[in-house]
Amino acid sequence: MGIFSDDRANELRSLFFDSSQEILQALNEDALLMEKSPRDPEIIRNIRRSVHTLKGDSAACGYKELSELAHAVEDVLTPEIAGRDGEALAELVLVSADAFDNLLSAFRNELQPPSTAPIYRLIEAIRNPHPQAAFAPGFLWTEYEQLVISRSAVRGQNVYNIALAIDPACPMRAAAVQLVRNVLQEFGSILVMRPEENATEIPDIIEVALASHHQLDWVERKSRIPTVVSKVCVLLAQQLPFVDPDSPLDLPPSPPAAVPPAPPAPSAEVPAGLSQREQDKARAAQAIRQVFERPRTRDERLPAATENVIRVEAERVDVVLDLVGELIIARSMMQDLLNEMNRALGNAPLRARSADALVFQSQILNKLQRAVMKIRMVPVEQMFRRLPRVARDTAKLLGREVNIVIEGENTDLDKSILDALAEPMMHLLRNAVDHGIEAPLDRAAAGKSPEGTIRLNAYHQGNQVVIEMSDDGKGIDLPRLISAAVASGTLTAEQAARISDGDALDLIFQAGLSTSTEITEISGRGVGMDVVKAVMDRLKGTVTVRSIPGEGTTFRLKVPLTLAIIKALLFRVSERLYAVPLGSVMEILRTRESEVHFVDGQEVLQIRDEIVPLIRLARLHPGGERKSKLFIIVVSLGERKVGLVVDRLIGEQELVIKALDETLVTTELVSGASILGDGRVVLILSVSDVVEKLGRGFGTDPRSAGAHA
Amino acid sequence: MPKLQQIVGFRVGRENFGVPIGIVHEIVRMMDITVVPDAPAHIEGVINLRGKIIPVVDLRKRFSEPVEPNRRNRIMVAELDGHQVGLVVDAANEVLKVNPELIEPPPNIFEQGELNYVTGVGKFSGKLVILIDLAKIMQRGELRRISDFAETAGVVPPAL
Repeated sequence: MGIFSDDRANELRSLFFDSSQEILQALNEDALLMEKSPRDPEIIRNIRRSVHTLKGDSAACGYKELSELAHAVEDVLTPEIAGRDGEALAELVLVSADAFDNLLSAFRNELQPPSTAPIYRLIEAIRNPHPQAAFAPGFLWTEYEQLVISRSAVRGQNVYNIALAIDPACPMRAAAVQLVRNVLQEFGSILVMRPEENATEIPDIIEVALASHHQLDWVERKSRIPTVVSKVCVLLAQQLPFVDPDSPLDLPPSPPAAVPPAPPAPSAEVPAGLSQREQDKARAAQAIRQVFERPRTRDERLPAATENVIRVEAERVDVVLDLVGELIIARSMMQDLLNEMNRALGNAPLRARSADALVFQSQILNKLQRAVMKIRMVPVEQMFRRLPRVARDTAKLLGREVNIVIEGENTDLDKSILDALAEPMMHLLRNAVDHGIEAPLDRAAAGKSPEGTIRLNAYHQGNQVVIEMSDDGKGIDLPRLISAAVASGTLTAEQAARISDGDALDLIFQAGLSTSTEITEISGRGVGMDVVKAVMDRLKGTVTVRSIPGEGTTFRLKVPLTLAIIKALLFRVSERLYAVPLGSVMEILRTRESEVHFVDGQEVLQIRDEIVPLIRLARLHPGGERKSKLFIIVVSLGERKVGLVVDRLIGEQELVIKALDETLVTTELVSGASILGDGRVVLILSVSDVVEKLGRGFGTDPRSAGAHA
Repeated sequence: MPKLQQIVGFRVGRENFGVPIGIVHEIVRMMDITVVPDAPAHIEGVINLRGKIIPVVDLRKRFSEPVEPNRRNRIMVAELDGHQVGLVVDAANEVLKVNPELIEPPPNIFEQGELNYVTGVGKFSGKLVILIDLAKIMQRGELRRISDFAETAGVVPPAL
């Protein structure tokens, strides 16, 4: 594409990659609808529009494989084919959506695009259920060839798309092609011809784009070469605006010399100066063109209502958010300075005024921060809408019937969190279809509707967002889960005997555990659930599960509204500064070393009538010393409570989270870092990982945990 | 006259090393390094570089040299694969303009696994300077032990 400068082309491409994801999503959704009502013309129109947009955009970016495939798919998206074989068409749309996606990611990563031949075969099969009777020219010209065609039209020539079926009785097919070429050249110039010259394989149909001064029926008559050509189809090939075939044609009063290429005027353009019969033919050609439709004008593709939406790269917003973060750091620097001034100057009048100014500035800063964070918020719908397709594919593969009910899709959540949730949600969904929902017969036997229901819900809860997925399946088989845990060595027999139902359910998040006796393509390898857990930990969220045998399972994912800024509790351990998210802190208390007791080799503290296990954070570093006075930060982890033993509390502070370089600083214990007003770095601990690594989790030997720290 | 190559020279222990100036972001004075618990052994910790938190590797430990804090210690901030990394060195103070023709390929011994971070050797202004590939130095494991190079990156036994 030499039209655009490199920068412009790159920008165009990245825009295209963004917008294409939405198109693919729409395609998936519409195809699922089409499966349900294959003959709905509105759905077919929507799908056509999506494919068409994809075709135009990909052609503009120079992605030939994609635009050609889209063109071929678009060709078969007709009411006729849908009426004949709607389900196959819906399947084709789904398969093509995947193929488009694969092509896109190949283009994006500058890889060799995967083969699209299977899709073409599928298209051919749909187009042509009876291959013998085939005569359906596609005129799949490339973008370049289309350009050549429209140029010729500009120069005042009629351009015809001509399809000629080679007579099956013709013995010398290669010679037949050459003969056709010679004949056509006599009354026009060949712009494009398939097969090309010297082609080794000769198809049954010759397709030609021909520029000629002759009229359509003349061309058609001349193209009928006896014993060589058995069928002829000639269409006028200029770009004509889309015309409703039922609306009357407005004929221009005076005959223009040439047909203008792709005129934006809405009136129908029929080449003037034609006889009545020719006009009819041209009109018929236009009707046919709905099948081989050329791009409509761009404006038509935009949504009718002008949306006041700006597409901005997430990175640009992040830069602003980063700067706001720096401002917050700068504000705490000012606060520190002011505190120092207080001590040095006492009650000087200047002090009060600067304090006022600082408060004013803080208020603006808070508003600014909230405003910027709001930019990053997107509705949960963006993730939810991808799930019905996943459920459908999984259900189809496993012979289940599943209905997805979505609620709360307008709940807003930070985009990066939502993106990170997509993978775990897919795991959970596949699991729900595979292990949760029973086969239709089993469901009927249990007195349930054969179709299982999976509910997705999202809602705000304080500073957090809760995302729920519940199925009405058979529930989790607890005894089997426990025995699987014992068999894999995750749990000792003794622990298994004492384990509470809640703790037992949590076992499903352990790596390598599965209650499924057979490994399916979908799930059952025991991986997946631990991935869910890992993602939730990274997001500083929690996942809990409830399950009632025979009635279903509910997963509850709780994540913070945003990852950028958290309220945190700061404290010191062995002279080092740490923080934990305030959201996980339940209470803070002071105690003495003498209050700490040992139960089962585990340090515990009695808090009112509860026994809470303790974890000494001094073990984060070798050689931490013990003090007689202790501070205990009681944190909650799902249902559990754990006391973190620290040396000194510093206080509560809003922290701007900065990620650690994960490729180099790989540690599970620390989830992020922040910079204080005085420039010091404070590490934010990942509470669940700290508890798991330093504490005594299920089947974890306290000695090995200690050795690791 | 071939185009001169610019190299940042730094000292670790008694050796003089050099890296292309293009990858060096800046050189800052030694500052407090925040230790990150449970991080890989070769990561010393993180620092606050004007509001950015970047990991730091102590090249002295990396090359098994004694750590003797003094005022000439520096943190050299390099950019590797789009990631900024701080490298603690004993001293870093010169930019050498060298004639590439005077850079010799590493002697054969350096091509072996444990020392393959050496990309060339040259004698500039009377000093022997060893040119190194920082990306190789950032890889996991000890630099001088062959066995560690067999280790697949990222395969760390899951800790319970």
